[in-house]
Amino acid sequence: MIEFNDIAKSFTSGAIKTEVLKGVSFKVDKGEFVSIMAPSGTGKTTLLNILGCLMKATSGSYLFEGHDIETLNDDQLSEIRNKKIGFVFQTFNLLEKTSTLDNVLLPLVYSDIYPADASKKATGLLEAVGLKERIHYKPNELSGGQQQRVAIARALINDPAVILADEPTGNLDSGSAKEIMEIFGTLHKEGRTIIVVTHNINVARSSDRIIYLKDGKVEKEEVLK
Amino acid sequence: MKIFRIAGVSLSAVSKHKVRTLLIVLAIVVGIATLTVIVALTQGANKTILQRINNFGPDAIMIHSGGGQMRGPSTVSEANLTKKDIADIESIDGVKLVSPFQVSLDMPIKYGNKFTTSWVFGVEQNWQEAWRRGASKGEFISDSDNEQLSKVCVIGQTAAKDLFSDANPIGEDIMIENVSFKIVGILKKAGQSPIGTDFDNLILIPFTTASRRLMNQPLYISMARTVVYRPSQVKNVAEKIKEILRENHHLAATEEDDFKISSPEEITKMIKSTSQTLTLFLWLVGIISPLVGGIVLMNIMLMAVSERKSEIGLRRAVGAKKKHIVFQFLAESLMLTFTGGFFGVVIGFAVALIFSSFGKPISISWQPFAVAFIFSSLIGLFFGIYPARKAASLDPASALSQK
Repeated sequence: MIEFNDIAKSFTSGAIKTEVLKGVSFKVDKGEFVSIMAPSGTGKTTLLNILGCLMKATSGSYLFEGHDIETLNDDQLSEIRNKKIGFVFQTFNLLEKTSTLDNVLLPLVYSDIYPADASKKATGLLEAVGLKERIHYKPNELSGGQQQRVAIARALINDPAVILADEPTGNLDSGSAKEIMEIFGTLHKEGRTIIVVTHNINVARSSDRIIYLKDGKVEKEEVLK
Repeated sequence: MKIFRIAGVSLSAVSKHKVRTLLIVLAIVVGIATLTVIVALTQGANKTILQRINNFGPDAIMIHSGGGQMRGPSTVSEANLTKKDIADIESIDGVKLVSPFQVSLDMPIKYGNKFTTSWVFGVEQNWQEAWRRGASKGEFISDSDNEQLSKVCVIGQTAAKDLFSDANPIGEDIMIENVSFKIVGILKKAGQSPIGTDFDNLILIPFTTASRRLMNQPLYISMARTVVYRPSQVKNVAEKIKEILRENHHLAATEEDDFKISSPEEITKMIKSTSQTLTLFLWLVGIISPLVGGIVLMNIMLMAVSERKSEIGLRRAVGAKKKHIVFQFLAESLMLTFTGGFFGVVIGFAVALIFSSFGKPISISWQPFAVAFIFSSLIGLFFGIYPARKAASLDPASALSQK
């Protein structure tokens, strides 16, 4: 479903060229739960941005459900992000002063079809992550763990092909972190494809497979389940 | 519809960022209110000009003695129109009547121990038809008054008030210079003349009395008012009058006119040219001040874009296209400018009404609404597009990482 072939990415600032990714190749199949383990500052965010179609690689090819991402224009990439990818960020990235329900509904603002039962669906998702009672709360009225659960509900609203999580427990205490990983576990059991990018080995251990990234390249892969 | 959903996003952003909204709306309100006041005032002034032209009479042609620039009335000292001139003008096709009159400005008037100064006109009976203005009380100057060189007068209401306050002046004797005149009538109120002078500070006496007893000008006439049958004849008749007078006054082709002919059209031109600079200045202020509002809008929106980078990044991440972001921010700008425009017009009208209570002529019509609507849309679009495009051009990945 996801195929990274020799993906390289470099940034140029003035005369200085920094190579962040130096030929990364891996595959993720439908229904897999994969972690990408990388220490901070080794191109983890860059890799995630390319995976999430927020950025294009300098070279190499990226196939997403058969689409060659490198050939798509900005609008087409937006559509892929809208329909196929559910993002979960380390810092939750919820809209301030906006209710939990409206945060979950956000991706639907930009989708071509707005289902008649959108609110019901969003409420159902919030119920599934244990926030049924808090649909009218604002983000600043929720704990970090609760905010991240809202973000997960938001990621699911469009039934994406893949959930892309960037250090999802990075800002959480261990109790909340455990809850979040349990939710991912449940989603995986329901057949969803999940990719978690993390530097935390305990988080990585809850997935099926770990891809280790070092110095901009895949160092090794470890199959856990 | 996606477009309504995004407009909803804009509306909620506008209502959530109250301080920002207030500041922008305030800037637009000031700009549009200024524009509205100026539109109301200039339109009011134009209306006044039209009214004055109407007072002057759309079918009247005024003939002044002496050439040169248009100004106030020509006085007896420059009188050079003859009885033949008047008779020749009367015979022009389309002329209904010609009313010659003598003019002396700021004559000293005395009643008992009260003094004032007033314009004094020596007129014939047809003056009242020529000016559509007779006596509101008492009698007007008659033909027999003219034949007998009677020392009677019809007094304008300003002069009457100055000398008699609220008492009835009819039958009283006043001194014009050193000649005693009996008041036989009070002149109908006229308001301001086309050039803005008080047309009620006026005393009418018989033409012959003025020429021979008061102003010592038995040969020539200061001015004449010609009335045509239809306003459309004014132009042709005015040209004919000019031909006749040049011929009668033996003017060579190279010589300038020794008279001046003014028609409603020329008076309009004259009044407009004197108020042009002021109008231009007002319009300049009127246009600049909403522009300043627009610059404030652009500044604050640019600040908003940089403050809301992570929101923009998030929206892009969940699927917003560049055009959606442009639309969202542009819609925010437009909502703010429309709100500002609406309150600006309302406040502008309120201010205009205050001006009008101080006696300034104003006009309240649909135009300021249209101008405000168009201006605020233009400001919203023109000054909103740059911040909106800037928001859309943010790199989604780096915008997302902003805190």
